[in-house]
Amino acid sequence: MKKIIPILLIAATLYFVSSCEKDDICVEGDTPLMVIGFFNIDDTTAAKRVPSIRIRSIDIDSVLSNASFSDRSNSPDSLQVPLRSNATTTMYQIISNSADDDETDQETGNIDTLTISYELGEAFISRACGFVVNYNNITVTVPESAENWIQDIKVVQPNVENTNNIHVKIFH
Amino acid sequence: MSKYFISILIGLLPILAEAQSEPLDLSQKDTVEYKDQYGLRVGADISKLVLSFVDEDYTGLELVGDYRLTRKLYLAAEIGNETKRQRENLNNTLLYDYETSGSYIKAGVDLNTYENWYGMNNAITIGGRYAVASFSQTLNEYNLYETDRFFNQDFLSGENPDREFNGLSASWLEFVVGVKVELFANIFAGMSTRLGFLVTNTEDEAFPNLWIPGFNKVTEGSKFGVNYNYSITYFIPLYKKSKKPKEDNQQ
Repeated sequence: MKKIIPILLIAATLYFVSSCEKDDICVEGDTPLMVIGFFNIDDTTAAKRVPSIRIRSIDIDSVLSNASFSDRSNSPDSLQVPLRSNATTTMYQIISNSADDDETDQETGNIDTLTISYELGEAFISRACGFVVNYNNITVTVPESAENWIQDIKVVQPNVENTNNIHVKIFH
Repeated sequence: MSKYFISILIGLLPILAEAQSEPLDLSQKDTVEYKDQYGLRVGADISKLVLSFVDEDYTGLELVGDYRLTRKLYLAAEIGNETKRQRENLNNTLLYDYETSGSYIKAGVDLNTYENWYGMNNAITIGGRYAVASFSQTLNEYNLYETDRFFNQDFLSGENPDREFNGLSASWLEFVVGVKVELFANIFAGMSTRLGFLVTNTEDEAFPNLWIPGFNKVTEGSKFGVNYNYSITYFIPLYKKSKKPKEDNQQ
């Protein structure tokens, strides 16, 4: 009987070893995207969609598309845009009523250029994910123009650490 | 007077006969009593030595020792130094590469639960330790995890590689189950499995303690850790003490 107890203890210990291997898949986090919400300028609490939205990156000259919205269709209430991790500014053209001219293939929509400036930070998330980038103290500017469809911009979350909440509100 | 001498002698004869009537003790007590050896046992963990030669990312040494206090109870301690370099990958892309280096000391007791046969000195022990480690971690290289591929097809390299985090420490309680077998006279081979429970863990905010010398891997969201050793020890006899006869053998 006395010999059974140590054997049981060793077995229990081995069970502990095998049950602790949950750290292999990264589920805890990711480098966050900036969440933009679109609101009505007349009623700042009401979401307002942007018709036929298109987002172009000036930095790498290509059209953004990801799971949060569809190119050249009505925007959702909020969408996610990535920020550059190797620079402290990212510029996007946000185009409403985006379409191409039939003859010239020129963009006929209303183009507003967003400049997002931020400080880069790094954070260790977990054993499986390692390090991610955080964007701190973001500021968003739009050049003043009478033709702007964007009326106002408000940063509600200056630190982009996750994609759970809206970081920037665009009023139009 | 001599006339009565014979009579008195005859009269005393029963007494003399009485004196002779004590039975012969055939099962006399064994006066050669067995004495247990008491002393100090010292040695080293051979698994850490072997790993140091085989694994280029690991060097380690652990010295082990125990001192017999009573027939079953031993004071036991381990002291060691370990350096281990580890890499965490995701689909062949390096996430981070770090090296942990430091020393530890463990002290506690072992209780022998094994009833030896005459002259044998084997042991099945359960015991406890309190352990303290002091170490440093060096982050050699790391990449920034990002699933969005719009700007970068690959993970970007981290901004500040080759960072050293000093002054890290940890302490933990250990539950030990072990066996020791006497191979030759005074030379023992032993192995033990240890379940550790972290009590304190001083880590840097920028990079947590993922591995602690003497404790092994630190699991997220859990204070438990498992480590083991395989030791070869030499017993230095200091004195002998007789084994107390067992109560139930007296009947």
